Amino acid sequence: MAVERMKITSIIGKLTDLDKVSRLIVINGSTHILNAISELNSNNLNLSASQKHMQTLQELEHIKPYISKRDFSKDEGIIRSFQDLFNLKLKICEDYLCVGDDYENTMAELRKVHEDVRHISKDMAERAANIEKLQQYLNNVSYLRNTDLRLEEINNLNFMKFRLLMLSNENFKKLKLNIENVPAIIFQAAVLSGNTVIASITPKSLEEEAERIFISLNYKELELPQEFSGTIEDVINQINAKISNEKRQVEELRESVAELSRTYSGTVSKAYTLLELEKKAEKLKQETALGSSMFFVFGFVPESEVEGVRIELKQYFGDSIIFIADNVDDKRLGNAPPTKMKNISLFRPFESLISMYGMPSYGEKDPTPFFALSYMLMFGAMFGDLGQGLIVLLAGLFIGYRTANKSFGGILTRLGASSMIFGALYGSVFGSEELIGALLIRPMANINTMLVSAIVLGIILITISYIYSLLNHYSSGNIEEGLFGREGLAGFLFFLTLILGALGKATGKLTVGIGLPLGAMVVLLLVMVFKQPLSGLLTGRRLYEESPGDYYIEAGFGVIETVLSVASNIISFIRVGAFALNHVGLYIAFATMAEMLNSKAGGIMVLIIGNIFIIGLEGLIVFIQSLRLEYYELFSKYYSGYGVEYKPAGLSGKGDSGNEMV
Amino acid sequence: MDNITRFAAVNTKIKSMEGELLKDEDYTLLLGLESVTEVAGYLKERTAYSEVLAKVDTGTIHRGMLENLIKQKMVKSIDRIIHYFTGDYKSFVKTLYAKYEIEELKILARAVYNGKDAAAFRNNVFLGKHSRIDTSKIYEAKYIRDIIYALQGSEFYKFLIPLVDGDFSENPFRFEMVMDMSYYSILQKKWSKLEKRDIKVLEQAQGIIADLLNIQWIYRGIKFYRLSPEELLNYTINIGYRLDFNMLKTLCYSKSLEEFNRIVKSTRYGFMLKDDGTTDIYMERRMERYIYFELKSMMKNNALSIISAFAFIIFLQFEVKDIISIIEAIRYKVPADQAYKYIVRKI
Repeated sequence: MAVERMKITSIIGKLTDLDKVSRLIVINGSTHILNAISELNSNNLNLSASQKHMQTLQELEHIKPYISKRDFSKDEGIIRSFQDLFNLKLKICEDYLCVGDDYENTMAELRKVHEDVRHISKDMAERAANIEKLQQYLNNVSYLRNTDLRLEEINNLNFMKFRLLMLSNENFKKLKLNIENVPAIIFQAAVLSGNTVIASITPKSLEEEAERIFISLNYKELELPQEFSGTIEDVINQINAKISNEKRQVEELRESVAELSRTYSGTVSKAYTLLELEKKAEKLKQETALGSSMFFVFGFVPESEVEGVRIELKQYFGDSIIFIADNVDDKRLGNAPPTKMKNISLFRPFESLISMYGMPSYGEKDPTPFFALSYMLMFGAMFGDLGQGLIVLLAGLFIGYRTANKSFGGILTRLGASSMIFGALYGSVFGSEELIGALLIRPMANINTMLVSAIVLGIILITISYIYSLLNHYSSGNIEEGLFGREGLAGFLFFLTLILGALGKATGKLTVGIGLPLGAMVVLLLVMVFKQPLSGLLTGRRLYEESPGDYYIEAGFGVIETVLSVASNIISFIRVGAFALNHVGLYIAFATMAEMLNSKAGGIMVLIIGNIFIIGLEGLIVFIQSLRLEYYELFSKYYSGYGVEYKPAGLSGKGDSGNEMV
Repeated sequence: MDNITRFAAVNTKIKSMEGELLKDEDYTLLLGLESVTEVAGYLKERTAYSEVLAKVDTGTIHRGMLENLIKQKMVKSIDRIIHYFTGDYKSFVKTLYAKYEIEELKILARAVYNGKDAAAFRNNVFLGKHSRIDTSKIYEAKYIRDIIYALQGSEFYKFLIPLVDGDFSENPFRFEMVMDMSYYSILQKKWSKLEKRDIKVLEQAQGIIADLLNIQWIYRGIKFYRLSPEELLNYTINIGYRLDFNMLKTLCYSKSLEEFNRIVKSTRYGFMLKDDGTTDIYMERRMERYIYFELKSMMKNNALSIISAFAFIIFLQFEVKDIISIIEAIRYKVPADQAYKYIVRKI
């Protein structure tokens, strides 16, 4: 229920083991890799200067980066040609993963068959082209179907030339309007969309002139086959026979492919898996640092996974590998530890909304539980309806089930459930308040109660935000902001004094004069103005980090903003009540329209349309408004979102950039 | 969408851009300059062309580069207009780019045919503007067919397929004619989706332009090219406004240049031909001036219509052409009192 603790791990081993170690890390998939060169530059290696480590420490003298010279594109090409031919859907298969050097052997096996496979696919492609050509002939010849011409006759005329041409309709029109000047006899054979097919018969002596005219009409010749003879019907039959013959050949080829596929698809799949592993390992190696005989790998590993990595390394490499897992030091330089959020399944989908704003930094409290609870609460309160909530819930289940967007589906499901609970409290089913009784309150009948409760809810949520903020400042040891800042203790006390003072004044229960709370607030504001010098006094550091003039101008405006924002933050929450009312109001509008129709069926139609409208439009508005309250009113108090996402090197983890070959 | 919503904003924009066109006195001053760099300097300091010349050192600029930059300004202006349109209207205005892209493709094809390096055209501004193709392939072309294959996926390709079909020999003339004809097919297809009123306006504007081009084509065909009347006729544009197909046919089959002259004189376009021997030199300028004034008056009579955008783009084209003419006149030392006769703008 928080941000996972990380350990920083260092792996040091012999260069000869580098390939295997990087494969192991990728297969294990829990190390967030750091660039080793920059890590060595910014932090000292935590090794005792014993005899055992002497050699390693000497290595640090001449560190250089790993330069990859491997090119996988050829192998990828081979695997892809197999994939196309066998029609495989390649995916990473865990059974084939191994730390050893299997990759080259597997590829060598494939390369051997590749030559045969290439011949087959070339043959298939040629035959497919041939079939296409024949089909074109078939198409061209069939324009002459209604004639009793014989193909060999029209192909071998002695004094005339017979051709089938295709012109655009516009150009055909031009030809038609000037036909008396064209040295050819033209028949219109067919009209296609936008084009006209014509048959032209020209005396051979005038062929050149006719050709020039046709060229000016931008014709496309429809070729007639030379190798067939007989009536058009005959020719069509012959071509069809030839096509089916070719198809049979292709079928046979396909069968031999299927046989190959049975033998080799396992190998292809293995090669693919190992190739992906190799690519990821290669990427990892680019982050390593190499000495003359040792390599260095650094990365963050979640505490719970550290032992797993240690044991696996020990199993494969025994004592030849040095594995160190250190606690993350507060004063660490260089890369901050990455954040991995860990929450129970009820809250987990909301992590996506948090990371939309920014990942929590390491050491910051994971806001997910508070965010999830308050978000569900606000959405439900604004959109409380048993029936409509059910629809949202079902939509969420559907999206989560049918699409890859699990987290959005999960969010909708939870929001729908919350909406149903509030629906029961408000006694509202598809907008109607007549079907069931209210368990708690009827919003429209108690407008003031709704609005006041919304404000109270806001005050509670803001208070919790302040507590989060105090905890965050405490754990980061930030005195300036934590004690004297606007989101720190001073701000919190200012907020409480304002609320309690106003409440006391309003109810008349304030026993001391109004001066006391006002005075306290002024003092707190002054504390906030002088936060930097005050914390300077406490810690003994410099009083001002910039020029005092600039500082006080900024602080002065800060005070105005504090006073304004405390009030506006609270009032902002009134929208929770307002939208609850609005929700009922919208329904009333549709219900009135339905009544005015005087027809039962029409009325029901209007109500159905009204419900769709309310779910679509208001659902969206409420979704956004809740998000706005969270991001703007609450996150600004306690959440920075400057963290780095935990992206371990691995094949299927989040860090995987996707399988490029599928 | 009604015409006010569609045209009010864009026509206002066009009005303001019209104000940026060169004034008559700019022309006079430009014609009086001595060198290409002076022209560049003047355009940079005193006109809206500063937009494209701002980062250029006008002291060392050469002619080809300046011409491309001036065209670049035209592209920017057209892009601004396109930005205001949506749907079929946007797609129509974008099509107007095709004319200029075709011009560049034709020049490129001829250069490639003559064994020149296509990469020299790398700075062309209109290539790819309409066809949306990857232009790098075009610059690698060694033969005209390479250009055609590079245009695969564009609207031009359909028209060019017959050129690479069968045993086609490299023929820049055929390429040029097919490209020219394709423009009018594409344009008609695009404008048929507009509102009736706008189609009518375009049929008139483009129709007049087509009439003029047809007369020019047939005149040159009879006088200079050895083409049969049938070929001449097949290469005419079939969207004329005042000259219908039969009229064109009569013109194409006229037995001599004299007969052709007589027939043209009987039409509204008689001004194109003069008996004083200036026909060949000034025909194009006369056509363009005529188009300029026709479009001006159409713009006035059809305030809220597509004509403003259509005409303004042609005005841009004329201005670019004029500037290039002026640069050439200066480069080849044509005196100003001669040079002004070759430009479209009447000063």
